[in-house]
Amino acid sequence: MPTHGSPASDGAFALELRRVSVAFDARAVLDAVDLACAPGEVVALVGPSGAGKTTLLRLWNAALAPTSGSVRVHGADLAERTPRELRELRSRIGFVHQDLALVPNLRVLQNVLHGALGRQSFLSAARTALFPAREEQERAAVLLERVGIGEKLFQRTDTLSGGQRQRVAIARALYQEPAALLCDEPVSSVDPARARDTVQLLTALAKERGFTLVVSLHDVRLAREFFPRLVGLRGGRVWFDRRNGDVRSSELDDLYSLERAELLADGS
Amino acid sequence: MSTRIDALRRARPRSRLLRLSLVLLALLVVWAWTAGDFDWADLVSERRGENVRRFFAEEVTPYPLREAGWSRAGVVDWAAGLWSDRGARGVTATLSIAVLAIALAGAAALLLSPFAARNLASARPFEFGADAPRGAGGGGAFRWRVLTGVTRALLILLRAIPEYVWGFLFLALLGPSAWPAVLALAIHNAGILGKLGAETIENLEARPLVALRDAGATRTQAWFGAVLPLSLARFLLYFFYRFETCVREATVLGMLGVVSLGYWIQDARSKHYYDEMLFFVALGACIVLLGDLVSAAVRAALRRTG
Amino acid sequence: MGADAPRGARRRWVLLAITVAAVLAALTLKASLGDLVPQRGGAELVLRFFARALSPAFRHEGEVPEGTPSLFFSALAAMRRTLVFGVAAMSLALAGGVVLGFLGSSAWWSGARAGGGSAWSRFLYRAIAPSVWGAARVLIVGMRSVHELLWAVLFLAALGLNNVTAVVAIAIPYTGTLAKVFSEMIDEAPRDAAHALRAAGASHVQVFALGLLPRALPDMCAYAFYRFECAIRSSAVLGFFGFPTLGYSISASFENLHFGEVWTYLYALCVLVVGVELWSGALRRRFVA
Repeated sequence: MPTHGSPASDGAFALELRRVSVAFDARAVLDAVDLACAPGEVVALVGPSGAGKTTLLRLWNAALAPTSGSVRVHGADLAERTPRELRELRSRIGFVHQDLALVPNLRVLQNVLHGALGRQSFLSAARTALFPAREEQERAAVLLERVGIGEKLFQRTDTLSGGQRQRVAIARALYQEPAALLCDEPVSSVDPARARDTVQLLTALAKERGFTLVVSLHDVRLAREFFPRLVGLRGGRVWFDRRNGDVRSSELDDLYSLERAELLADGS
Repeated sequence: MSTRIDALRRARPRSRLLRLSLVLLALLVVWAWTAGDFDWADLVSERRGENVRRFFAEEVTPYPLREAGWSRAGVVDWAAGLWSDRGARGVTATLSIAVLAIALAGAAALLLSPFAARNLASARPFEFGADAPRGAGGGGAFRWRVLTGVTRALLILLRAIPEYVWGFLFLALLGPSAWPAVLALAIHNAGILGKLGAETIENLEARPLVALRDAGATRTQAWFGAVLPLSLARFLLYFFYRFETCVREATVLGMLGVVSLGYWIQDARSKHYYDEMLFFVALGACIVLLGDLVSAAVRAALRRTG
Repeated sequence: MGADAPRGARRRWVLLAITVAAVLAALTLKASLGDLVPQRGGAELVLRFFARALSPAFRHEGEVPEGTPSLFFSALAAMRRTLVFGVAAMSLALAGGVVLGFLGSSAWWSGARAGGGSAWSRFLYRAIAPSVWGAARVLIVGMRSVHELLWAVLFLAALGLNNVTAVVAIAIPYTGTLAKVFSEMIDEAPRDAAHALRAAGASHVQVFALGLLPRALPDMCAYAFYRFECAIRSSAVLGFFGFPTLGYSISASFENLHFGEVWTYLYALCVLVVGVELWSGALRRRFVA
């Protein structure tokens, strides 16, 4: 059974970037970014495509090492962690990928159970894959129920609709019992109504379970509606970082319109 | 919760075919190994051991070195002698047989595959499923179905019988020349390429073809104008992939008595010159490797340009 | 359209090259069309042989010793042995092909290099991975490039006739081929789920087994079934070298000019091959797009 009840933000991870730059082939993707999220905080990353949102999220998941600067999770610099510690850390950080990254020809249950791999030895993972224990099935079922597709437990994942698959990806991340959840454009491939439901679900879950939540979003209106703090990213720099109420609409417009101006300038 | 999980579990989609197949495969494997066809005691008997020892200790040593002892010059001389005496001829013949056979097979498959493609060889071409009026065309439809059926059955027969069996039959019927090997390879591969070609045609996107038909094109015109150009790239990929196997098979078909490498392998074997046999087997491996490389390079080039 | 022109031109060159190569090959072989005409009354033989395609024999065509099973049962027995050899060889090849295919795929090793595991195991992987990978590739090529009949001939020379050697002779090149194709399929499988599992802290073996392998599995099964079909054909052909499979019956009947029996055995082989083809086709329609 999942541990709900008191929002346990004391168990949540603080996420921090200090003067972090990332360059791919001499092209700067992130440029001296400073950003800190307190444990249990709920943050939206907004900005045009190519602003560096995905790269920023991957840094906290230790999927990527910065070119310079320090990435800190739960108070410690990732560069100083051993591979074993990194693996443990990853197992506590949920990541919902833009393309969902599920295994389509497995059942939903299996995909959800994959969330626990980081805490399992190879043999126990093999046991889970072949003969999932009753307790594991129940935990997965509760999570699927929570994200609204409880009846899909034993369906093959590729028979599900896009929105339902997205729920599976979220349930998989929840199965990790995450101390932080990073979502990379989780609503880019679903229709607006479903996108709103999903963002609502994510923020509600963060409140309920107390994990730190960072969601990158293209859709500014959704960010406005559900997130207490907005971080605007453009061209690898933090454009603004404020409480939702303090962000002016003109700033949001700038974030995107400047891009348009740049595109035009590039084109000429 | 528990009862709900059980209910969902019972209702989960499952494939009886898959379960049945897995059980059947497991049973087949167990049966094959326990059916009593394998004499393990004989395999490890003293006589076998003696055979193996003699084979490795004496027979595979190059003949001139058995008394003179190993020397690099000796090995090189021996190999060069075999190469210029028989090896070069065998390699040329093997490659020629493979090339001629695959070219014939490709031509035959190009001619046969349209008749085996259910979307082209039908009373109302390029119509499938919902928009195909049932029973349209009357007797014509039946005749087309018979035609595709017969072509498909023929292709199955051609490919179900292995090259070696075809080679054996043709050699006995036609007498010794390179043709039995060429025909054997060509026939078997025509069956395979014909099937793959028909599948390629059936998987073509229907719209350009329908447009042609609606513009009044006949089946032959549609085949030349659209089907062939659209499916040729794919077909060529299959063609070169089969060329690889043709080189492999052309080598061994010689064992029937056609002058490819296999002939010299069989010749050495029947004289118990196992050192020479091993040399020719290794030579065969080299040209198979060569065929693989050529085929892989051409296929990569074709993929790159589409 | 502009981009199409060079492609079309390239294809035309390929077709032309194939034609020229075929003509050259025919000249090299001195294969004149005249040789296609059977000699010495062979024409009549050819006709007689192919005429029996439509009327295969239902009983033995010649004198048979007392107690010989009917043709139907001897065909059935030859089919059984062909199947036994094919299945046994395929089970060996599958086991070997999976192991070698994993070791020969770059995906198996890339996970280890990307991090994860202890420093010690990373060092071990860095030191041994390239050599094991290379050894696996060399082994795969070596097994593949010698034909199963040549392996059989080698075993016959070294050991003498024993049914196990027939099975091993088929299994060796089939292991190599399966390993090659499996490793390609694993390396070409989509990596997205694998990356996601790594992001969730999975070890590289877990990533490989649960994120990558399931995606390649349907294709791998389809290919294994196709090779099973080939194994049955190879097993039948080994009959020409004295093993008791369908090829043995075919050559014996042919040498006695019992053409009807030959066709009976040929159709028996077709039944086996087509049976496997239908079975795998049914599975493929259900599980591979």
